[in-house]
Amino acid sequence: MGLFDVKIISEHFDVPEARTLEYFERKGGYRSARKACGMGPEAIAAEVAASNLRGRGGAGFPTALKWSFVPKDADTVYLVVNADESEPGTFKDRHILYWNPHLLIEGMIVAAVALKVRNAYIYIRGEMARENKVLQAALDQAYAKGYLGERIFGTSTSLDITVYRGLGAYICGEETALLSSLEGGRGWPRLKPPFPAVKGLWGKPTIVNNVETLANLPWIVEHGGKAFADLGSGRSGGLRLVSVCGHVNKPGVFELPLTVTGRELIEDVCGGIKGGRKVKGVIPGGVSMPVLAPDELDVPFEFDALQKDERIREVEVRPGQKFDLGGNRTLRTMAGSGGVVVMDDTTDITQAAWRIIHFFAEESCGQCTPCREGTGWLAQVAHRIAFDHGRAGDVDLLASIADGIAGNTICALGDAAAWPTLAFLTKYRDEFEAKVRNAHRPKGAA
Amino acid sequence: MARHPSFRARKAVPGKELSTQIEARIQQLWPRFPEGRAGQALCLPVLYLAQEQHGHVDAEVVDLVAARLGLTSAHVTGVATFYFMLNKVRPGRYHLQVCTNIGCQLIGAYDVFERCKKRLGVDNKGTSADGNVTLTEVECLAACGYGPVAQIAEREKPEIPLYFENLDATRIDAILDALAEGRVPTELGS
Ligand SMILES: Cc1cc2nc3c(=O)[nH]c(=O)nc-3n(C[C@H](O)[C@H](O)[C@H](O)COP(=O)(O)O)c2cc1C
Ligand code: SF4
Ligand code: FES
Repeated sequence: MGLFDVKIISEHFDVPEARTLEYFERKGGYRSARKACGMGPEAIAAEVAASNLRGRGGAGFPTALKWSFVPKDADTVYLVVNADESEPGTFKDRHILYWNPHLLIEGMIVAAVALKVRNAYIYIRGEMARENKVLQAALDQAYAKGYLGERIFGTSTSLDITVYRGLGAYICGEETALLSSLEGGRGWPRLKPPFPAVKGLWGKPTIVNNVETLANLPWIVEHGGKAFADLGSGRSGGLRLVSVCGHVNKPGVFELPLTVTGRELIEDVCGGIKGGRKVKGVIPGGVSMPVLAPDELDVPFEFDALQKDERIREVEVRPGQKFDLGGNRTLRTMAGSGGVVVMDDTTDITQAAWRIIHFFAEESCGQCTPCREGTGWLAQVAHRIAFDHGRAGDVDLLASIADGIAGNTICALGDAAAWPTLAFLTKYRDEFEAKVRNAHRPKGAA
Repeated sequence: MARHPSFRARKAVPGKELSTQIEARIQQLWPRFPEGRAGQALCLPVLYLAQEQHGHVDAEVVDLVAARLGLTSAHVTGVATFYFMLNKVRPGRYHLQVCTNIGCQLIGAYDVFERCKKRLGVDNKGTSADGNVTLTEVECLAACGYGPVAQIAEREKPEIPLYFENLDATRIDAILDALAEGRVPTELGS
């Protein structure tokens, strides 16, 4: 069996019966949940620590470390699943929810035992009406079998899972906004610290984990943390779901080793660029992450490599001046949500950049001035440039607005708007400048 | 049916009330939240169901929901105006929502969207003169590999758990034709 053939999560994608509890159990499902109930919290936490599992929601934060922040004497701990998947380019959690809902439920049972959780919530994106139905049906099956509710599997563990639907707000994917929304309010992010692991839902310690993160737990319990770490690379354990869209012959969701490079992803996994054209840019982890130019695609799409590999240029504020990520760090790119957007050489980068910026301007929650005003200005200037009305100085203006947003906001949406903007300008500056040079001028203007 | 103890007398809103299905859902969900938190936590789900019943969320619906859940109308208004999926104005019979975000943009979403605009004679967020279709440009629907993608809602009807994927001129024409005939082309959805 080749490395590409190992599957942790996606083995039963495209098998409709996989949604039923019977099929899932026949394939070994819920064995890990039973085992977890007998293992106890410390033993599970130790396996997860050994697994090098890192969060698949965007930040790549080590899962065991996040869990360890929950105060040991907490009376109530909540588990909340982030199923809000709305980072443009990302469509892998939706596959798990639709094709393999029991795997998520089983992963939640494992996490609940490890964290001593009695009540868990799944915050699912409102638009996912189809997935909501499938998930609810799977939960009903699990309740009917006694795998959820009081004394699950006849053990002393009890767990209730409730699905909570979002209503269309990208910002609710940010974990503190998600909690504000789940409490029944506007999806406004909260300042961190305190982190949700200490003070989250209704003020209680709360672990927010992504769907894919949790879906890995049954495998880790079954095979051990070390086996999961061995499948991975460096400090990142396991495989990864990658969703690929844009100008490739075979877009879709693929579960891949973390050693796969951008070029291998396009050529070997996705059948190359459509029409035999050439690649012009690749966004590696959802639109919040800096774009990669064609000569930066030989780096593995792994968390640390994308942040540190010197083959990827550092993002600049203007030519020669590196963007300051704080703490003397520079920014290359990040693995983010695993949403890969491939752009071929016919793409107008200025229009692609505008559409991404426009998205952030639409979705800013409006709480902080730099983000609310800044994303609006960015969108205006980017639109001007992209649609041939750019003015002299607009390229520098775009960069300075972005630089003014980054690092100055309550939540990371501000950075998510600034980083890709600066990366597009760093790597395709000529194109932006040419657009401005060739802009239509009103009659009589200089 | 035994009312949950938290039930508060409903402020009378002439001609409008929350359906018995909504009441049943409230009773079902209420115990899923901790003591004293359920009323507010149910704000989103109840607003969504109330929209399904009444077509959109206006001041009357806000008052109904606020009174039932023991919340201030100001809080419910704040929520109702924050979320995109809650219609502040009454949409057409069908609400056609087309994703134009990056994944879909790259493979022709704006062509599809422009075609919709032209055929319906509307701009973004506009409703066709006959009141049949409201057209809205939406953000990424998490189906980027199968784009361009659209979603359809029918006013005062249960939601349609389908996406309409891989749109091109032919497929969007077929969808618009069906909507004009007063029918959601579920056979084109997945
Ligand atoms: C603007 C913004 C949007 C986000 N959207 C999502 C999302 O849709 N899904 C998700 O899992 N995480 C999202 N995140 C990341 C979450 O805040 C959080 O880090 C994640 O759910 C933690 O889970 P993990 O540790 O398992 O990755 C978003 C973050 C930001 C700043
Ligand atoms: S950075 Fe933007 S989205 Fe985040 S809290 Fe501030 S205004 Fe809201
Ligand atoms: S960009 Fe259209 S579905 Fe994601």
